[in-house]
Amino acid sequence: MSASDDKSGDIMSIPGAEDQIDPATFEQILEMDDDDAEREFSKSIVYDFFGQADTTFKKMDKELEKKEDKYLKELSELGHFLKGSSATLGLTKVKDSCEKIQHYGQLKDDSGTKDITEEQAQEKLGTIIKQAKTEFKEVKEILKEFYKDDDA
Amino acid sequence: MQNSYDFSPTLRSPSVSPTRLGQGRTRPGVMVPASTSLGSLPTPSPSDENVPPSKTDDYASSSLAYDLIRYTPAPTVILDASLLVRHVSDSYVTASGARDRDQLLGRHADIIFDSNFTIPAFTAAGKAVKAARNTAQLQQVKVVTDTVSAWHMRAIPIIRHESLRCIQMEFLDVTEEHQRQLELRERSYQNETFRILVETVKDYAIFMLDPTGHVATWNAGAQRFKGYTPLEIIGKHFSTFYSQEDRDKDKPARELRDALRDGRCEDEGWRFRKDGSKFWANVVITPVYKEGVLLGFSKVTRDLTERRKTEKSLIAAYEEASKLKSEFLANMSHEIRTPMHGMLSALTLLLDTKLDSNQREITHIVQESGDVLLQLINDILDYEKLASGSFSITHDIISVAGIIQSVVRAHQACHRPEVTMEIFLDEKLPRSAEGDSLRYRQIVQNLLSNATKFTETGYIRILARLQSEDHENFTILTEVVDTGIGIPAGGSNTLFTPFTQFDNSATKRYKGTGLGLSISKSLAELMGGNIGFHPNPEGRGSVFWFTAKLKKCKQLKALDALQENMQELKLPAPTLVNPMETLKALAASKRLLLAEDNLINRKVMLRMLAGLGFEKVDTAIDGKEAVTKALQEPAPYDLILMDVNMPIQDGVSATKELRAKGLQVPIVAMTANALKGQAESYIAKGMSGYIAKPVDRNLLVELLLGYLQRKSPG
Repeated sequence: MSASDDKSGDIMSIPGAEDQIDPATFEQILEMDDDDAEREFSKSIVYDFFGQADTTFKKMDKELEKKEDKYLKELSELGHFLKGSSATLGLTKVKDSCEKIQHYGQLKDDSGTKDITEEQAQEKLGTIIKQAKTEFKEVKEILKEFYKDDDA
Repeated sequence: MQNSYDFSPTLRSPSVSPTRLGQGRTRPGVMVPASTSLGSLPTPSPSDENVPPSKTDDYASSSLAYDLIRYTPAPTVILDASLLVRHVSDSYVTASGARDRDQLLGRHADIIFDSNFTIPAFTAAGKAVKAARNTAQLQQVKVVTDTVSAWHMRAIPIIRHESLRCIQMEFLDVTEEHQRQLELRERSYQNETFRILVETVKDYAIFMLDPTGHVATWNAGAQRFKGYTPLEIIGKHFSTFYSQEDRDKDKPARELRDALRDGRCEDEGWRFRKDGSKFWANVVITPVYKEGVLLGFSKVTRDLTERRKTEKSLIAAYEEASKLKSEFLANMSHEIRTPMHGMLSALTLLLDTKLDSNQREITHIVQESGDVLLQLINDILDYEKLASGSFSITHDIISVAGIIQSVVRAHQACHRPEVTMEIFLDEKLPRSAEGDSLRYRQIVQNLLSNATKFTETGYIRILARLQSEDHENFTILTEVVDTGIGIPAGGSNTLFTPFTQFDNSATKRYKGTGLGLSISKSLAELMGGNIGFHPNPEGRGSVFWFTAKLKKCKQLKALDALQENMQELKLPAPTLVNPMETLKALAASKRLLLAEDNLINRKVMLRMLAGLGFEKVDTAIDGKEAVTKALQEPAPYDLILMDVNMPIQDGVSATKELRAKGLQVPIVAMTANALKGQAESYIAKGMSGYIAKPVDRNLLVELLLGYLQRKSPG
């Protein structure tokens, strides 16, 4: 079950993919495709994810901006949510950043072990959400290239 | 004691028929009995044979006889054959207490041997004299009087030409000698008794060792205990009775040295018999000296095997009782805890409702009391678990700094504003290590809550540093320093004893069970550490410290470890039977429920399951929906895949609810938080198993196969 015999091209050969994508996990998704040329299923999932990520990042921005009651909890949950789907697709970097969002939202440090203050959390959340977005953008480009999609 | 008479004719003179020989007495007052010839008593020469009693005065004051009789220190009385006193020695006069010799001279033996005089036992003297006269044999009598004086009397018949000339009576005061004899006899009697006693005692092995430790004597007890006959063992070194191990440790020689140094050495331990069997012995070795010279050692051994057995069974009975008590308490606490939790959660709900200030206040009081009660029950439960040894330490990822910060944060609210709370954390503290974070937290919490309880002004500091480190473990030292009331001198001994508190007065200011420190102690020990107390060196207050050993993490993250496991699991895929094919065959008839809130994950999972041959898969987008769907009648699913984090109702709570309502089907948790301990906790909460996200297909195949095959064998 290696990805290398893929006729339609190896995603890992796309520059930057190595950093961003876990090959085994992504390969598993690709295997679900009925047709290796069309890649209908995996493509739909990946594009679903694009949509989900966009929505989620927007929600995050809003929460962080408004700082309403329980906004940290919300942010943590959003982080967890996006972590779930990015993990499923093997989008390692985005997943890691989402995990951090999840931790900061719980007033914990990167690894989820040490406590941090709310101020620290706000600052860290701002940075990490920005970072996650960049990472998402990067991986999105890679995936788009993989699916040979130039529009959108 | 009655006077004793000891007539023992020791000298035999030629048998003489008793004859009356007495010649009348001479002038009264003159001490010259013509009839007595004393000058040549020992060997009558042949020339003397027919010589009639000397005409010359043998008893002139210058004569030898006069000297012999008059000045002999042995009180002497010379009687003639008719038993009239002829002469007395000065010593007799003194000894008898007669006022002068005239009182005595010329009197009959019966009269002078009267009890009027101080020499006792005259009855015996009279008898002796008569016996001497009648038998013509020397009479020796030893008389012991009631007054413990002893007299040796001799009645010596002096016979010449077969006729009794006179009788010499000697009275020797042998009181002292008699006493000595008595003592001697007593002593020898004792010695003999002791010897017999020691030899025949069977319940103790009593024997002597020579100064080098070789067996010198052997008694019946020793033979009975140890099985050796005297012949076999005497001369052998006593280390024979010890185990090889004791011999290697030079214990026998050490015991002799100890005995010499301390005058005694006692030991309890296993000793060995001739046949190799062992018995539990109490041994006392005592050095024996005679006039400052070491004769050897006495060794007394008791067989305590029976007693030890009894002791052991007593201890066992006690332990059993104590265990039952612990179990009972643990059960009770546990039973009480459940409704307690119910009550407290109901109170929390109640507090969320609209209450007026009075109601709120009362509810808060109920809640506070409930919290204290729960803490108490938990303490007892912990303590009993610890005491019964059924407490185990789990190993999950622990961050010392994280725990301390979180405990301190929890205490921020309850310490007084006059008290500052400070944290000092060593930079070298491991970021993560393996340990029981819950129990570590419990100790920190205990110490910290004690500190806040007892400190009214000043500071509370909590310090943690890496005390030592080897390639397996970190040893973490955690200290809680306060400026509180401190511990009274002498109180530090009982600090860690269960159920003790310093303030036991009726007006107890501080509440608590007195179990906290004792629990902390046990916990610290379970974590391979220790706990202790010393006064605050800065003056007022206390320092409580404890150490804990934490294992170094082999992996940076437990997640890595889990993923590694997955990789490993992938390897043995080409087994004899292809599990995927097996599952596919099984899948068509099985119905699954997938509870997953994330659309993408749901899609992927559905696709994956479809790929594995599952045709009937329902989905639920949160825990609540999952519960509703799963509880339809008849039970629609063979297995439920349950995401843990879901909105509205999470997977764990949904599982709990399903289990509470009697649903038996396997529920598999899907989680991205696959930390070691957490996964287990899901299982504890009713899940059947778990799978890490992102879900690995092969792992999923194995897992599903495991549950579905199990359910329908064949």
